[in-house]
Amino acid sequence: MADRLKDKVAVITGAGRGIGRGHALLFASEGAKVVVNDLGSARDGTGAERGPADEVVEEIKKMGGEAVANYDNVATWAGGENIIKTAVDTFGKIDILVNNAGVLRDRMVFNMTPEEWDTVIKVHLYGHFFCLKPACVLFRQQRGGRIVNTASTSGLGNRGQANYAAAKEGIVGLTRTVARDMGRYGVTCNAIRPAAATRMTVSPEMEEARKKREQTGAAPSGSGLTLNALPPEAIAPLVVFLCTDEAANINGCTFLVHSGEIHLMTDPAIEKSIHKNGRWTVDELCEIVPKSLAHGLVNPSPPEQPKQ
Amino acid sequence: MADRLKGKVAVVTGSGRGLGKCHALALAAEGAKLVINDLGGAVDGTGAAKGPADEVVEEIKKMGGEAVANYDSVATPEAGEKIVQTAVDAFGRIDILVNNAGVLRDRMVFNMTEEEWDTAMKVHLYGHFNCAKPACVLFRQQRSGRIINTSSIAGLGNMGQANYSAAKEGIVGLTRTVAIDMGRYGVTCNAIRPMAGTRLTLTPELFEAWKKRGMTEDQIKAMWPAPDDISPMVVFLCCDEAANINGRTFDVMGGNIGLYSEPYNWRSIYKKGIWTVDELVDLIPKSLSRGLQNPSPPAPPKE
Repeated sequence: MADRLKDKVAVITGAGRGIGRGHALLFASEGAKVVVNDLGSARDGTGAERGPADEVVEEIKKMGGEAVANYDNVATWAGGENIIKTAVDTFGKIDILVNNAGVLRDRMVFNMTPEEWDTVIKVHLYGHFFCLKPACVLFRQQRGGRIVNTASTSGLGNRGQANYAAAKEGIVGLTRTVARDMGRYGVTCNAIRPAAATRMTVSPEMEEARKKREQTGAAPSGSGLTLNALPPEAIAPLVVFLCTDEAANINGCTFLVHSGEIHLMTDPAIEKSIHKNGRWTVDELCEIVPKSLAHGLVNPSPPEQPKQ
Repeated sequence: MADRLKGKVAVVTGSGRGLGKCHALALAAEGAKLVINDLGGAVDGTGAAKGPADEVVEEIKKMGGEAVANYDSVATPEAGEKIVQTAVDAFGRIDILVNNAGVLRDRMVFNMTEEEWDTAMKVHLYGHFNCAKPACVLFRQQRSGRIINTSSIAGLGNMGQANYSAAKEGIVGLTRTVAIDMGRYGVTCNAIRPMAGTRLTLTPELFEAWKKRGMTEDQIKAMWPAPDDISPMVVFLCCDEAANINGRTFDVMGGNIGLYSEPYNWRSIYKKGIWTVDELVDLIPKSLSRGLQNPSPPAPPKE
């Protein structure tokens, strides 16, 4: 066991399985006391059982670490408060919050139901806020704290994920503003866009499709995302790093993490601009924008002929 | 009246006042038929009145255009359906959706209530989806359509606006994905980050603060671009000349219009296998995070 986070108390949501479990184990191995939050639901977010959180707690205790389980749902205000309270009640404080819990309801936007939209926004975006709000109250009082949020490359646009992309890029906006609200109190707030093979990302349907592609020779063997590729444990070292003293000045940033690749991503910035004193007319814009701002833009999904 | 959008049917949410009203008038001036949606709420989104939407409808009719009012709140899926249905019932179709309705509940994150968070989410982010979804069903059938969403530079981080920046950057993520889902059907979906002086931005508190520094009301207003300056870009994005612009975000402020870059990998480190924390502690300060500025560095407690 190392001790870079000795005596720190870390809350990790959705830590019963996948990426969150990887975080919990690595935080514990660096000496942090961990609140392992997991609703213990099925892959689609329904149901609840205590097993997954309890197992990770056992694993940490066997390593000689300290951990406690919490089974609340991040998607409610009371759930978030209770998760943070578990840290305070058990270990007397909270230093680190890793917002990780998530769920998927993929559907093309024109077929997406209000429930599919709502479930994803509630678990991801509301879930992040509901945990970080009570954490920020305490972080402000103690003038210190770390928040690591979980966004996704899907926030940059991904077919069939209007709900997930909105939630995940919303988390990036939230991260930037929490960094500004809390930085003066010695708190940092950053986000990761992880890519890993987990129960959530490699669905049974995807496994099925991959096997079919390989059997028919449509794709070479081992080319698709399998449960053995991109281990979820690969994400945790960066998250732990963001909670160490060496990362004290990193605030409001977004990192892409993908196995052994780590990228610092840019924020959107104005890359081309046109200027006029006063108001543009539509005619002027129709003339100028295609030659300037829109010159060379590639439509990410160009119009297709209807299928017969 | 020009005719770049002759025969097109446009829905503009929150178009009883401010930016939305300017968009509606500019779209009507290019020949579009308009659904003027406005709840007619107070600046804090409470209450409801038919006046603002009705007045804009009257104004368009006086210009010789066609328009119909709708008073639903965008914050529920049922209302989103009704807003789009209003276009179909009145004009037989919908070609353009401008998601514009918005509200503010500014508060430092550590003081923000559940209600403040939820209200901003429901009006902005849910409001965009609630209208975009039924529009996309029709756009897919007719294999055409335009969606303009309203984001904000606050999505890039702004003190005291955790709810608003989450909603507004969520709208950017939504825009990018709707563009991908719908592009193949001949639809485009783009977003603007507008900056203008409206009822929402020129608050009594703001006037108070600037007046204390010796500025007059007119001087304060002159610091903010007029809302009318935003609308030509919105109209342009609905024109044939913009058919290939899809999934992008534009800054619009007075006569300044900018195209935003999408986030990309700026600095990178690579390793075969999994990094250790010790390696990252050693390496990242020298590479990825070298020279980064903390946007809000720690400050000593106030006495």
